[in-house]
Amino acid sequence: MISNILISDPTLRDGSHAVSHQLNAHQIASYTAAADAAGIPIVEVGHGNGLGASSLQIGESLLDDTTILKIARENLIHSKLGIHVMPGIATINKDLKKALSMGVDVFRVACHCTEADITQRHISFIRNKGKEVYGVLMMNHMAPKDVLVEEAYKMQSYGADGVLLYDSAGASIPSDVKEKIELLVKSLEIQVGYHAHNNLGLAIANSITAVQAGATILDGTVRGFGAGAGNAQLEVLVPVLEKMGYSTGVDFYKLLDLSDFAERELMKVVPSIKPDSVCSALAGIFSGFSKHVQRISKEYGVDSRDVWFELGRRKIVAGQEDIIIEVAVKLAAEGGKGQ
Amino acid sequence: MADKKTILNVAILGTGNIGTDLMVKALRSPFLDCTLFAGRNLTSAGMTKANSLGVRVSALGVESIMKDPDCCDLVFDATSAIDHKYHWSLLEKMGKIVIDMTPSRVGEMCIPAINLDSCLKYKNVNMVTCGGQASIPMAHLIGLLHQEVDYIEVISSIASRSAGPATRINIDEYVETTEEGIKIFSGCKRSKVMLILNPAHPPIDMQTTVFAKVKKPDIQKLNAAAVDMARQIQAYVPGYQLIVPPVLENKRIVIMVKIQGLGDYLPKFAGNLDIINCAAIAMAEEYAKNSRSAPIRASAKNK
Amino acid sequence: MKSEHRDMIYKDCEQVTANSVHLLSALRGQCILITGGTGFVGTWLAEMITFLNDNHDFNTQLILLSGRANNFSAKAPHLADRNDITLIESDIRNVVDIPNEVEWIIHAAGNPDNRLHASDPLRTIQVIVKGTDTILEVATRLPDLKKFLNISSGLVYGSQPWELETIPESFMGSLNCDSIRSAYAEAKRMGETLCAVYRNQHRLPVVNARPFAFIGPYQLLDRPWAINNFIRDSLLGGPIRILGDGETVRSYMYPSDMAWWLLRILVQGTVGASYNVGSPHGVTLQKLAKKIAGHSPVKSEILSGLSSDRSLGRSKFIPDVRLAKNALDLCINVDLDSAIKRTIVWNRNYC
Repeated sequence: MISNILISDPTLRDGSHAVSHQLNAHQIASYTAAADAAGIPIVEVGHGNGLGASSLQIGESLLDDTTILKIARENLIHSKLGIHVMPGIATINKDLKKALSMGVDVFRVACHCTEADITQRHISFIRNKGKEVYGVLMMNHMAPKDVLVEEAYKMQSYGADGVLLYDSAGASIPSDVKEKIELLVKSLEIQVGYHAHNNLGLAIANSITAVQAGATILDGTVRGFGAGAGNAQLEVLVPVLEKMGYSTGVDFYKLLDLSDFAERELMKVVPSIKPDSVCSALAGIFSGFSKHVQRISKEYGVDSRDVWFELGRRKIVAGQEDIIIEVAVKLAAEGGKGQ
Repeated sequence: MADKKTILNVAILGTGNIGTDLMVKALRSPFLDCTLFAGRNLTSAGMTKANSLGVRVSALGVESIMKDPDCCDLVFDATSAIDHKYHWSLLEKMGKIVIDMTPSRVGEMCIPAINLDSCLKYKNVNMVTCGGQASIPMAHLIGLLHQEVDYIEVISSIASRSAGPATRINIDEYVETTEEGIKIFSGCKRSKVMLILNPAHPPIDMQTTVFAKVKKPDIQKLNAAAVDMARQIQAYVPGYQLIVPPVLENKRIVIMVKIQGLGDYLPKFAGNLDIINCAAIAMAEEYAKNSRSAPIRASAKNK
Repeated sequence: MKSEHRDMIYKDCEQVTANSVHLLSALRGQCILITGGTGFVGTWLAEMITFLNDNHDFNTQLILLSGRANNFSAKAPHLADRNDITLIESDIRNVVDIPNEVEWIIHAAGNPDNRLHASDPLRTIQVIVKGTDTILEVATRLPDLKKFLNISSGLVYGSQPWELETIPESFMGSLNCDSIRSAYAEAKRMGETLCAVYRNQHRLPVVNARPFAFIGPYQLLDRPWAINNFIRDSLLGGPIRILGDGETVRSYMYPSDMAWWLLRILVQGTVGASYNVGSPHGVTLQKLAKKIAGHSPVKSEILSGLSSDRSLGRSKFIPDVRLAKNALDLCINVDLDSAIKRTIVWNRNYC
C-alpha cells in the first residue's frame, strides 16, 4: 500500500521572511495560480509570522492580510488556502474571523513549543467553525521529547487535526527528529507533521526522517524559499518521497516549472547556507531573525556571530526580535565583543 | 506617617496571585488598610496567606461586602472581566470606589504616571494591562512630543512562569485592551501589541519595547522626557528601568524598558504582575490622600 | 550523640563522596530546604551536607522543615545546634511561605511507617497530597528555585510481579485503588502527578526519586520491616523470626549511598524524570537472616516457615537502577554485609 504524505507549501509565507515581507500582488497571484495547477494540496500565504504579524518588530508587509488572502483565494481552485497564526500576535476578533470570512481552508495555530495552552481558544474557535486546524510547536529544538508530547497532547485535546513540529531555527539533526516524531506518533491520536529549515543542510534529511518515524504531513517550499537558509526544497522533497514509495499527488513537471518560475518571479536571491545561518542554528535562534541581525549588527558595528550567540545564551524565542537591538547596544558598549 | 483620617479601608475581591500580592502591598501602605479579603475558596494559598497575616477573610465573595457595607471604602476587583461587571452593578449602588484589575474595560483607564489626578473623578477605574502600564507612559510621550503619530507598537516578553492560566486563556483580551489603551493615551491612529512568553530558566524579567512611526522624530526631546517619565514611574514601580532610551533605528523610534517585581507575594521575575499592582496601589493611595475632596462621579461611561 | 557514632557517619560520608565531591559543586553557597527534614532521609541529607560544609567548604545553608522540628535537638543535637542549619516547625499542609533565598527543595515529608498507613490512612493521604500540593504551590513563588526533588516511593509500582527480576521506572504498576491498603501508594502516585502538573503548568523544575528499602544508622529498629526486625531480634539474642518460607526477596541500600544518590539526582537529574533509588542486589529473607546472625555479636537461631502455606505471601521488591547508573553514574558503595555490620554497631546498645 502506498502511503500518502500531505504536502503543505508555505513558499509565500515562510519566503516572505526572505524578502522582508515585500511580496507584491502580482507575485502572489501568479504563484498561487501556478501552485494550484501543479496540484499542491495546501498553499500557505501571509506574513512570515502569520496573520497580524506585519509590524515594526518583525517587518511590515507590503500588502495587508486582507489583500493577500483575497488574491490567494481567487487563484486557488483545487488547492486549499492555508494561513499561520500565533496567539499573542494574532487574535480571534482581529484576524481569525477575517480569515474565516475570506474563505481560508486550513489554519495553523502556532506557539513556542512549551506554551501550547495559549492556543486553546484559537484552535477551539476554528474547530467549532468546522475548518481544518493544526497545532504548531515552533522552535521544537528547545524542548525535550516528553515536553513536546505534553504540549502536543494539549493541542489534541483542543481539537487540532494534527500537530506539527517546526524546526524554526534549523537546529535539529536527524536523531532528534526521529526520537521526537516517533514519540509523538506513538502518543497522539492525530496526525503528526514536520517543518524543516536548512541551516545545517539537513532540511530534506530531517523531513524524510520524520516521515520514516511516522509523520504524515510535510512542509516544503520551492527553491527552499524561506527564512534563514530556507526550508526543505519542495521540488527535491516530492521526488525523494515518491522514490521512497510515498505518494504526494503533486505533478512533478509542473512542480519543476513552478520552482523555475518562482525563482524568477519571487526571489532576489535563492536561499543558501550562509555563515550567518549556521551561527543561527548553532545558537538555536529563529531563522526569521536573520535579516534583522545582519542589519542591526552592521548599524552598531558588532560581529553578527556574537549577536547570534548572545541571543542563544539568553534563550530568545520567536517574536523577540526587539532584543536584537538591546544585545547589539550592549555588545557595542562592550567594544563589539561577545562572551 | 499619614494622618489617621486619610487611611482608606480596602477590600480585595479575588484571592489569586494578583489579589494576594495587592493585600501584601495594601498592608504595607501608610494610606491603606486591608479590611477584607474575599473569594470563594477558603483553602486557597491566598486565603492561607491572609489568615497568616491576620486579615479578615470570607468565602462569600462580593456578598461579604453587601452583608457588611461599612467594612471598606474602596474595592480592588481582582476576579475576572465577566465577574467584574456583576460586582460593579452591586458596588456602584453601595457607593464604593472600585479599582478594576481585570480587562473588563468598564471604568476609566488609569495609568498613574499620566492621569492619576483626573481619575479621582471616577468611582470605577481600570488598570488596563501589565504591558499597558509598562508601555503607555512612553507611548503617551511620543504622542505629546510629535505632531502626527501614525503608528505605535508594543512588544512585551514575560517569563513563562509568570503567566498563569488566566493570562494565557485571556491573551486576546490582553492584546486588544492594551492596543486600545495605547491609542487613547497617545492619540496614534493605529496600534499593535504582541505578548511573547519565554520559558527560559532561570526566568527572564519582563521587558517591553515601544516602537513608533512618526513624521519628524525628535529623539533629543523624547530622550529627556523618557528619562523623566521613567523616574516618575519608579516612584510607584521601583523596579522600572529604561534600558534602551529612545533611539531611531531603521526609521522607527525604539524605547525599551525592563520591569523587575518587588518580590512581595510573587517572585521578582513576575514584573508583569507587580507593575499593575503597584499602579493600582498608587491609585488607591491617591484616593486616600484626596478622600475628603470634590464629589466623585458615578462612572467613567457617564462622562 | 556518642563520638563513635559521629565518627561512623563521618567515615560513611567520606567513603561515598571520595573523589566525587565536585559533582555536587552546584550546591556550593546555596540554600536547600528539606521538608520532612528531621526524618530518616532529612537527617541523612543533613549529615551529608554538613560533612561537605565542614570538610569541603561548601558553605551550603540547610533549612529543615518538619512538624517535629522541636524534637530534633534531642535526636541530633550535633546537627540541630549548627549555624548552617535552620529548623522550621510547621505542618507541611500549613506552609504559607518559605524564605526567598531557597534555591533547592527536597520534599521528603510523609511518613513511610506502614503501621500509620493502616490505622490512619486519611491522615496519610492528606499529608502527602495536600502537603505536596502546598509545597509545590509555595515553590512557584520562589524567585531563584533551581530544582525541586520530590521523594516519592518505590511503592508507587504496587506489588512487583514475581517474574519481574527488578522494577524499572517505566513499569506502569499494579495497584488496587479501592482498598485502604493502597492509601500510601496511591497518595504517592498522586504526589508524582501533582509534580508533573506543576512542572508543566507552572514550569517548575521538578524531578522524582523513588526510594526502595534502606538499612543503616537513624533507621529505627521498631519499624515493622523485615531487616529492622531481624537486627532487633538478633541484638535481643534471638530467635530471628521469618514470616513465610523465607523466599521473599528484598534489597537494601545503606543510607550514605541514599543521601549521595538523592543529592546527585537533585543536582543532575533531568527535569521530569523519575529515578529509582535503592539496591539492585536482591537477597532472600532466609539468606538475610543468616547474614545478620553471622554478623551479630549475640548468637541467635533463625525460625522460619511460620505461616501455614509456604508459598503464601512470597514477594519481591527490588529496583532496576540502570537509569541512575547510566544517566548519573551512580553505584552502590556500601554492600549489604557492610551495611548490616555498621547497623549492628550503631545499634549495639539497643537493648
